[in-house]
Amino acid sequence: MLSTLIWFPVLGAIAIAVLPLRQLKLAALTISGVVLLWTLWIANQFDFTNPLLQLQEYLPWLEPLGLHYQLGVDGLSLPMLILNGLLTWIAIYSGREEIERPRLFYSLILLVSSAVAGAFLAQNLLLFFLFYEVELVPFYLLISIWGGEKRNYAAMKFLLYTAVSGALILAAFLGLVWLNGADSFAYQALMGQSLPLWLQIVLLSFVLVGFGIKIPLVPLHTWLPDTYVAASAPVAILLGGVLAKLGAYGIFRFGLGLFPDAWATLAPGLATWATVSVLYGATVAIAQKDIKRMVAYSSIGHMGYILLGGAAMNALSLVGAVAQMVAHGLILAILFHLVGVVETKVGTRELDVLNGLMNPVRGLPMVSALLVLGGMASAGIPGLVGFVAEFLVFQGSYAVFPLQTLLCVVGTGLTAVYFVILLNRTCFGRLDNAIAYFPKVEWRERIPALILAFTIFFLGIQPTWLVRLSESTTRSMVAAVPSLAQPAIAQEEGGDEVMKWQMTND
Amino acid sequence: MTQFLLQTVWLIPCYAIAGAVVSILWSPALIRRTGPRPAGYLNLCMTILAFVHSLIAFPIAWQHPAQQLSVPWLQVAGLDLTLPLDISAITVGASLLVTGLNMLAQVYAIGYLEMDWGWSRFFAFLSLFEAGMCSLAFCNSLFFGFMILEILTLGTYLLVGTWFNQSLVVTGARDAFLTKRVGDLFLLMGVLAIYPLAGTWDFDQLAQWAETATVDPTIATLVGLALLAGPMGKCAQFPLHLWLDEAMEGPLPSTILRNSVVVATGAWVLIKLQPVLALSPVVLTVMITIGAVTAVGGTLIAIAQIDVKRALSYSVSAYMGLVFIAVGTGQTNAALLLILSHALAQGVLVTSTGSIVLNSITQDLTQLGGLGRRRPMSALCYLVGVAGLIGLPPLGGFWALLKLADGLWATHPWLVPVLLLVNGLTAFSMVREFGLIFAGSPKPMTERSPENFWLITLPMMVLMGLTLHLPLILQSLALLPSWATLNQEMAILLLWSSLTGIGIGAVVYVGQNISKPIQLPWKPLQTLFAYDLYTPQLYRSSIVFCVDWASRITDWFDRQIVDGAVNLVGLASLFSGEALKYSNSGQGQFYILTIALGLAAIALSMSWPLILH
Repeated sequence: MLSTLIWFPVLGAIAIAVLPLRQLKLAALTISGVVLLWTLWIANQFDFTNPLLQLQEYLPWLEPLGLHYQLGVDGLSLPMLILNGLLTWIAIYSGREEIERPRLFYSLILLVSSAVAGAFLAQNLLLFFLFYEVELVPFYLLISIWGGEKRNYAAMKFLLYTAVSGALILAAFLGLVWLNGADSFAYQALMGQSLPLWLQIVLLSFVLVGFGIKIPLVPLHTWLPDTYVAASAPVAILLGGVLAKLGAYGIFRFGLGLFPDAWATLAPGLATWATVSVLYGATVAIAQKDIKRMVAYSSIGHMGYILLGGAAMNALSLVGAVAQMVAHGLILAILFHLVGVVETKVGTRELDVLNGLMNPVRGLPMVSALLVLGGMASAGIPGLVGFVAEFLVFQGSYAVFPLQTLLCVVGTGLTAVYFVILLNRTCFGRLDNAIAYFPKVEWRERIPALILAFTIFFLGIQPTWLVRLSESTTRSMVAAVPSLAQPAIAQEEGGDEVMKWQMTND
Repeated sequence: MTQFLLQTVWLIPCYAIAGAVVSILWSPALIRRTGPRPAGYLNLCMTILAFVHSLIAFPIAWQHPAQQLSVPWLQVAGLDLTLPLDISAITVGASLLVTGLNMLAQVYAIGYLEMDWGWSRFFAFLSLFEAGMCSLAFCNSLFFGFMILEILTLGTYLLVGTWFNQSLVVTGARDAFLTKRVGDLFLLMGVLAIYPLAGTWDFDQLAQWAETATVDPTIATLVGLALLAGPMGKCAQFPLHLWLDEAMEGPLPSTILRNSVVVATGAWVLIKLQPVLALSPVVLTVMITIGAVTAVGGTLIAIAQIDVKRALSYSVSAYMGLVFIAVGTGQTNAALLLILSHALAQGVLVTSTGSIVLNSITQDLTQLGGLGRRRPMSALCYLVGVAGLIGLPPLGGFWALLKLADGLWATHPWLVPVLLLVNGLTAFSMVREFGLIFAGSPKPMTERSPENFWLITLPMMVLMGLTLHLPLILQSLALLPSWATLNQEMAILLLWSSLTGIGIGAVVYVGQNISKPIQLPWKPLQTLFAYDLYTPQLYRSSIVFCVDWASRITDWFDRQIVDGAVNLVGLASLFSGEALKYSNSGQGQFYILTIALGLAAIALSMSWPLILH
């Protein structure tokens, strides 16, 4: 059942290679649509109250290596799978009709979707690593063939960074298995490992840096602005919306999940790291003159909240972190899509050139309205999905790391600053009549944004749909963390009521 | 049936929201055929519906004790976010005020924005504000209150930005959003911090908790200050007052709502939070100080303005300062009464000056004058507004200020002179505007300025009627003090301060013996007030400057140092590869030499322990 998510797109990619040119987009849309529906059906089969892996699949593969084909889904991976399905469909839908080399383009996107789904589903460390590396190649091609200017530089940078990330992760996985003397890379078997703390910390640092590149965290982020800016809009949607989540997912699954002791020891440092990321991303974004670059830096800032939620390690902050992963994916996707539309219609991304797009007759009124919505969702205005996620993270982490949390709240303020700059310059202002002969915005370009806007809005009003997916899993992840962390929380807090609150919480 | 209407008051915000949502169809020009007008009428209809509902529900709520409703929203990981609704006379009354004012404002807007192209957006945002304020009235939780306030912050940004192709509007919208957002973020910090302490966000339970709570004074102060910052931003208190002035660049009909009730949203939350804030005496002192400074400073600045709308907006800040004083001294009832009387009086003042501005095509006080004979209705409304705002019996402002002064006299006597001063200065400031607009001889801009048509005049007159009737309404609700309990000395003091202000204002500005513009003997003082105590410059050279440079420096650091290091690594490997390739000479001897040297090195290192022994 889960295998369908991986192999159906692969079959689709092969089928696309032989289909006539005219039906390619339709075929790709159908395939990714089926995958999305299948994911939703899996969500329907999923038991939300059960924190364990569900719908598991097992096939022995390379016994001597300890590599087996093991798949499973839990509350951490399910939201990511849905996000992957949705954003893949959106990315294909929003692509231009007359794209060059359509066969290769759609096949590669489907391959990305398949590999990412595989990484989210894999319950064997080596299998995860395989999918994690496989996804790299199509992305490299997608950036270097269909990208903008400086695409080769960007693609190479992306490739090198991610290769380093992969090497570090592989080293950590190998180290864990060999030092532990385990005979298999199965995730479940490795969960109860009992390595000395210092070794765990060393391995965890490898995992953190490895996935930290993917997320990315400051100062491992410099591939991101170049890559996001060089990538075409559909690829940027996938990069920011899905691929970055792979890093966050990896940190939770293989960092927090495998090394809870070490994680608890490093937690204060992680929270500080997250805060630095948030403030750094937001501050640099303010200085950008290119709206796509600005959105790219905003992504760095927002991924910091996820790490903050993870570092705080209570049920609330972890649920918030997972929610933030989804929220960030949706918001970034809509922003990249709209920025792409603005670029194709107006022909520039420069803040100093853009002006007055809200103009109802000659401007791009609907795109501007949606851009306002996306920007405000990113700035954490209530009623939109970003707020719920950030608030849950903050409320959870405040109990543990008050200072860092408050600094991250300042970060949301800075987010508002750069989005107001962006909106004021692009949407507001006076449209120059002499240059305002923009091509008409097509429904193909509106519909993806409308779907995303609706989702952002709906999950903001009705966040239960979002949080209940992951609640029981994150709760059990917190329970797996040794008692080490709990007294620390209680001490920092003081007061009986607080402890009661904490206990009901955890 | 009556119970049903009361139980369903939560629908009141929903009507407006529905109107706003449907307006989307017209706003990004999805429906072009009809033009945007239907959106305006639709929103007006929804507001009338909400108003009628409130109007019927109010007497019922008055007779019944307060009821609670709760709507589950989100339960996650032990955190229970249920929206508690408080249906009582005061909350239904607040929604009645909001819907009523919005109804009048929308009728006014239909007239005022006759030819405007932003209709559907504008009306949708008015409805959003109506919905937000009504739900804030009913909502009994700090968390949801924060959510609503923050959505309204966005609403302010968009509403002020209605005419977004003017550069002053764009900066005004930006400043309004960012200033309010600063307040909101502090409020968010307070919201986050208070939950671990109190374990609840419901205002009732917070008040109960505050009665018995023992909190570390430092923490109580910090939390209190954070909670105070939100209302400070909303109520445009010093130093977060700048936005209200700049928001006057927005369309005037929205000012009706903003000056009268939107700024009061902060005060409403403040009143609800009063028991928590009272945990720390420092917070109360800060609140009173900010209120007093804003009240006096705001009025002085208002006197120095030459823009009608801006002068009014500073008076709003000043009155909200009085509300801060009232809440800081624990007189929440006086604060509520003050909000009510101020809302109606400001409504009249804004509608009447707006009616002048529309026909005279200027809002510059120095260009206006001599309109008294041409615009008798507007002049009358303006005067009633002034009388309702300041302490002039028998209108609403008098009773509110009297109640406040009475309470202050018992607890904080030194604040009574501040109150009297503000009242007197406001009276002077209002009469100054009256004199500059209506007295004297007509000027070029006011030569052709007849009364407006009914869509503008009718709301203005209705508001005037309401202001005049406010004492009767209060009387029928038994909210006025009886003759026996009246503090007569205070009443006389208040009356004197008003009369002094009016008198001086009338002599200087209504009488034509003193030449205008009036210059203070000391010029810098006048410019200080005229330029809003140089607050914009202060912001520009402090916070804006810091954020700007911090972002530039970080950006430079990011490009040159972080990315530079990465590129350096890449360059180094390329360069070393380039350099090393010349070592491949193709000579066999050289390779053999390398191999031999390597072997020797390995052998040496392997046998190193042996050699040592």
